[in-house]
Amino acid sequence: MREKMISDNIVSEVQYEENKLLSFQKINSKTVSYRVYENGMVGIHCQIGEITDEEGFLKAEENLRERPRPYPFELESGKRSRNLTEREVADKELLEIADDCMKYICGKYPDFVFKTSFSQNKNTQSRVNDKGMDYSNTDCCVNVSISFKHVSSKDIMDGFFNFSLRDFEMDVFTKMADNYLANYTTEVELPEEIIMDMQYYGLVGKLADSLNGENLALGTSLLSGKVGEKVFADGFTLTDDVTDEESWFNCFWDGDGCVLENDKQTFIENGVVLTGYADKKNAQKYGISHTGDAYFNFSDIPGAGVRNLRIGRSTKTVKELLNGRYCVVPLNYGGGGFADNGDYTMPVHSAMLCDGEKILGKLPPFTIVSNMFDMFGKDFIGVGADKPIYNDKQILFRVKKGNIL
Amino acid sequence: MYHFPKDLYADVRIEEYYNLNLHMKNDVMETDSSMTEKGAIIRVFDGEMWYTSTTNKLDDIQKELDNLATLAKPDPAIYEHPFVQKYQVHEATVLMYEGDKDARKISRGEWMELLDHYKGLCVDESIEEIPLWMVNVSCSHLKKSFYSSKGAAIIQDRQECSIGVVFGITVDGITTFGGKRYVKDCKEDLYGYENEINKERDKYLDFARNAVQVEPGVYTCILSPLATSMFVHESFGHKSESDLMLNDKTLQDEWVMGKNVGNGKVSICDAGDMPNHGYVPYDDEGTPAGVNWLIKEGKLVGRLHDAKSAATLGEELTGNARAQSYYHMPIVRMTNTYMEGGEDAPQDMIAGVKDGIYVYSVEHGSGMATFTIKPAICYRIRDGKLQEPLRVNVLTGSVFETLFDIDAVGNDFEMIDNYICGKNGQSVPVSAGGPSIRVKKMTFN
Repeated sequence: MREKMISDNIVSEVQYEENKLLSFQKINSKTVSYRVYENGMVGIHCQIGEITDEEGFLKAEENLRERPRPYPFELESGKRSRNLTEREVADKELLEIADDCMKYICGKYPDFVFKTSFSQNKNTQSRVNDKGMDYSNTDCCVNVSISFKHVSSKDIMDGFFNFSLRDFEMDVFTKMADNYLANYTTEVELPEEIIMDMQYYGLVGKLADSLNGENLALGTSLLSGKVGEKVFADGFTLTDDVTDEESWFNCFWDGDGCVLENDKQTFIENGVVLTGYADKKNAQKYGISHTGDAYFNFSDIPGAGVRNLRIGRSTKTVKELLNGRYCVVPLNYGGGGFADNGDYTMPVHSAMLCDGEKILGKLPPFTIVSNMFDMFGKDFIGVGADKPIYNDKQILFRVKKGNIL
Repeated sequence: MYHFPKDLYADVRIEEYYNLNLHMKNDVMETDSSMTEKGAIIRVFDGEMWYTSTTNKLDDIQKELDNLATLAKPDPAIYEHPFVQKYQVHEATVLMYEGDKDARKISRGEWMELLDHYKGLCVDESIEEIPLWMVNVSCSHLKKSFYSSKGAAIIQDRQECSIGVVFGITVDGITTFGGKRYVKDCKEDLYGYENEINKERDKYLDFARNAVQVEPGVYTCILSPLATSMFVHESFGHKSESDLMLNDKTLQDEWVMGKNVGNGKVSICDAGDMPNHGYVPYDDEGTPAGVNWLIKEGKLVGRLHDAKSAATLGEELTGNARAQSYYHMPIVRMTNTYMEGGEDAPQDMIAGVKDGIYVYSVEHGSGMATFTIKPAICYRIRDGKLQEPLRVNVLTGSVFETLFDIDAVGNDFEMIDNYICGKNGQSVPVSAGGPSIRVKKMTFN
């Protein structure tokens, strides 16, 4: 039985350094995984660049003989194609978009130095096999990434904003730039109650580790022994959701070729841990539910990995969730993270005060002190229905303040 | 060779990369793969901007060069451009890993033997608190060829072989991961570390069983050589990368040459020609590695450059233009960065602390003006003696103050060879080093 996985990536990128055009770059890369299955084993050849299918499968057959890898599972089948592309921009247009954006921020905010990137990424992934599988997924978006530094700052960078759009709109850029930059030099104090307003992709990583079925089975997860229990806040629901419109380049199938029922799998519902996740291998090894969560591996067999963890959104906007309170938008933070016991400690080098829509002024540096169980439990306020600051989902949660210096 | 376009500067960097990775978790081979990759980045500069293209079709390089040239605006004076003038022209072949030293020739079976060797000597399944263990063996070999329209022709290689053993230690529902990883340039240098690994495992076991949470606050601290190495890299190293201050008067005034930026005991150097993890005999603009002192006895004496930053700031090239791979343009990066050892005995340094913290090991850090370090294992110091292990989530300090707060520099210098440094979306291998140091105050959370 033969199978082929392809990832085809085309990138055009315009970069600016210190407000000046630096480069225009084109990247065209194609990775193909040739896989030959026989008697519960698979031979794999991964090729970056050109090769004929005949050569690729021959090398996979060689590897099946010389270094077979175990894969005692039925191959998946099915036909489906998803193309999320809304509009592709030509290279000339991308250069014009970049030029327009830079003229806007450099003209309106001359006291800042910008390092920026404007790129268009187009990715097509496909998977076909002798069992009749024929899947493909295409996505294309323009990504804008702006880091900025005030001319008077002694730091190497003061803040950062970025967003992606499948159909670039200048209005989104100008609103975001104005929100981040207009009140940057207005100094304000941290409120008594500190409510963080963040994108949450980096925050759910510890949850992903904890929900790994293997860790649950071995007792090495912070959620071991807690499946079926209410651990988090009432409004906290966590789902692997491959339909999320604000995800980019994510496939609807997993590393084993499995497709989730309705493209979704819920792990935590209203605070109750329903199940951990597992690929086929771990499901068999530990006798746990197979949830269709395997990461892609072009040069080896897949392993357990969750793809697109999303927190259920509130019906309220960010401002409504705040209900008159202010929140903190961190601009430049890093170097901390989650500890083994779930503590979350994160130095915030620069941050802004926000009313849920408008950024009001710059806050002094501080350190976020929280814990996985608190930020998604007693301190969880919600994920807004709208996306006013990041042009993306925003989580609100209360934290304690730690010193930074 | 290539026909470079007229009145434009151009260069071509070709990379041939081999990687093998074997990863065993609880007796199951989770990863068993190897692959080879070839690609090139082609760059053309017209005095205003770069036009670049990346390809895996090495036969198409000339075509890509010609295509890029049609986008650029030829400039007959391109070779008088300030940073094109800076590009050096060297013809060199520095192939350290050919013949018997070429790790690509080592069979999978021989690598598995190395993995099994450490599994046999370091994995003790009778320890109930260790439900999870992992042994990883990896090898990579990279051959780079660089050609420029000024005439540079450089072929060089690098190779790294590694062994790592990691334990997941679960006590009271909390799992602490700890272990050791060694990176060397040849496989035979990876043997003989089992005692160190087992000692480290026992240290982590003690930590998992007995560690208490730190009381947040400002403490005097002793950094071990491992912790100092990360401190050097994060606190000052990133500030020495001069692409961050090209036309930035505030930063140029702050980091003016000759200024006192630290205690007189502090000297920091970056050297790409050291045979360590950040070994870069020629950088990705074709500049040979140098020994670049950044701080000498507390005074700022140098910084790291690519051609653009050197030309802009009127300084000399240092050989620090590095790219992660052929998908990337080079930017200013560290190589092997270290604080010079001193004369203080580490035990005397600890004895001089009445109430403080010893930072034994670290996980990662970040290098803004307020640098951060995420420690792994710390110990409380009371009345000059190491006491109970401490869980510390993060420690922070200001680069403008902390280098002055170093009041003792140890005689136990070490280089740490397993760092990967990230900047602007690019990761490159680096080494960092130093001795134990005592710092009068840092903030612990």
